[in-house]
Amino acid sequence: MIRIEGLSILFETFKIMGLDITIEEKEFHSLLGPTGCGKTLILESIMGLRKPTKGKIWIGEREVQTLPPERREISYVPQDLALFPHLSVRENIFYGIKARNLDKQDYEDYVQLQIEEMKVGHLLERYPANLSGGEKKRVALLRALASKPKLLLLDEPLSGLDPAIKVEIQQLLKTLHSSFNPTILCVTHDFEEAYFLSDRITIFMDGKAEQVGKKDDIFLEPVSKKVAQFLGARNLYRAKILSKDEFMQRATLEVDGLQFSMPMQLCRDSIEVGKEVDLFIRPEEVMIIRKEKPVKESLKRNILLGKIMDITDKRRYQLINFQTMEGKINIEISIPNYAFRNLDLAIGKIVNVALREESLWVMS
Amino acid sequence: MSFRHTMLGAAVCLFIFYLGLLLSLFYFVSGKGFWEVLIHPGTLSAIRLSITAATLATFFAVAIGLPAAYALSRFEFRGKRIIDTFLEIPMIMSPIALGASLLIFFNTPLGEVIQKEGIFFVFEVPGIVLAQFATIAGLATRLIKSSLDEISPRYEAVARSLGSSSWQAFYRITLPLALKGLIASVILCWAKALGEFGATVTLAGAMPGKTETMPIAIFTALASANINKTIVLIIILVFFGLCTLYAVRLTGGRRRYD
Repeated sequence: MIRIEGLSILFETFKIMGLDITIEEKEFHSLLGPTGCGKTLILESIMGLRKPTKGKIWIGEREVQTLPPERREISYVPQDLALFPHLSVRENIFYGIKARNLDKQDYEDYVQLQIEEMKVGHLLERYPANLSGGEKKRVALLRALASKPKLLLLDEPLSGLDPAIKVEIQQLLKTLHSSFNPTILCVTHDFEEAYFLSDRITIFMDGKAEQVGKKDDIFLEPVSKKVAQFLGARNLYRAKILSKDEFMQRATLEVDGLQFSMPMQLCRDSIEVGKEVDLFIRPEEVMIIRKEKPVKESLKRNILLGKIMDITDKRRYQLINFQTMEGKINIEISIPNYAFRNLDLAIGKIVNVALREESLWVMS
Repeated sequence: MSFRHTMLGAAVCLFIFYLGLLLSLFYFVSGKGFWEVLIHPGTLSAIRLSITAATLATFFAVAIGLPAAYALSRFEFRGKRIIDTFLEIPMIMSPIALGASLLIFFNTPLGEVIQKEGIFFVFEVPGIVLAQFATIAGLATRLIKSSLDEISPRYEAVARSLGSSSWQAFYRITLPLALKGLIASVILCWAKALGEFGATVTLAGAMPGKTETMPIAIFTALASANINKTIVLIIILVFFGLCTLYAVRLTGGRRRYD
């Protein structure tokens, strides 16, 4: 297990205060935060290249923050990869094994497996300048993994790649992680990338960890409007709690005169009548109701009548801008293409929309 | 005249100017006279002394310039700008002033102790090396720093994460990557040391057979109206200079991994 406790860094305009991260063995953990928030500084501090103002780092039971980088057993793949240009791909890959004075024969089979997995066998005698962007990424990953580090640090591993190569490397990272089980801490600003790759995610904003959790929990249940907005959440509203029914465990909220009923378990914090909260409606959990189809009892609680204001083709899905008749609230609804084709929707059409209970989430 | 022709014309004019200067030297020298001056013991001694002193001065300048350049390129520390500015002193100070400063220093109590207890510099061969070192050390540091600045510190960071100590990362990664720039810096500093006159003559004097380097020999030959010797020494100095510049051009070629 890797534990980072109370890591504080003051550097130029960056101020990181008391960051805690725990990474389980074999876990793929992402530190997700906006560009320029100091994520790379954190990696450099963990690696030992930068002295943090405060904080402790444990690798297993070993406290490493006073050790130089070469004795921490932490490998690092920077954003620019930094493949050694004067060394061949083979020399790059075996650099760590040689530098750590490890017995090359003990690692030969392991590295060979990785070379096959990453399909770089034909590149071994080439120099980095003669590799494509995707090939460079593979070699950099392989170089970092070859000496079996206790922790692998990845700095924006998918940045600067063409979309097709990005998908390929993303898949490769996933395969590598499941095949060789390295413990990984990856910093990224791309939430889709973090969601695809990670087991758990730490949301890092304004110098502190805003939320830590399993990836589904993070995306479905953000702790605050700030986190939700960063994660690309649409449909965020300021709401007021009108009433609560302790027996039924339900609460009623109001947004601009429009009322919503929801289970209290979907509220992050305690429910207090009269309190103002942030309501998040997940676009993918909102249903447009077909007239001829009967509506399930559970959906009847939150049915809204309104007008389609706009339809945007997002290639994989359609994004509908819906405006309620009452309260004139705009709600974005994402609908898979196959469902969209069956619904016969058009701009200006009046439709009924049902909010699944899972579509609602309340943050204070 | 077109823009292109104007620019090219300027370049050609400069070339003709320098070429004319060099060719004019041959007007006064015959083949036999050239050979006689070249194999004269005084000339050979000046060549030998110049090459030895320039090599030693370059060695010392690079030995201190390389770590100093690394520190200035990689680390942030208090007084960095002041040190950086002081490195340019030999570039803004006239060589004679630099030599005179050294001469004055060796007349201070500390300088006298150094001379009595250590090496004698004033009007001695070590004085030539010191004067040349003083002239080129700042330049060497500045040139090496430029080479190091071009190499991303990220390489060393990765090397260290892979198990190299900072020394190992330096000689396994940074030094090979900076090698071509380093060689070019060495050659340029050596050429500058070879042609150094002002500081050397001020500190070490102009004693034939003892402290007479090639530039000093040119000066003394000219002062005694020995045109033949002057020209031969100039040609030799220019030959060495052109060879070193050509060597720099060769090291500036593309790296095999580019």
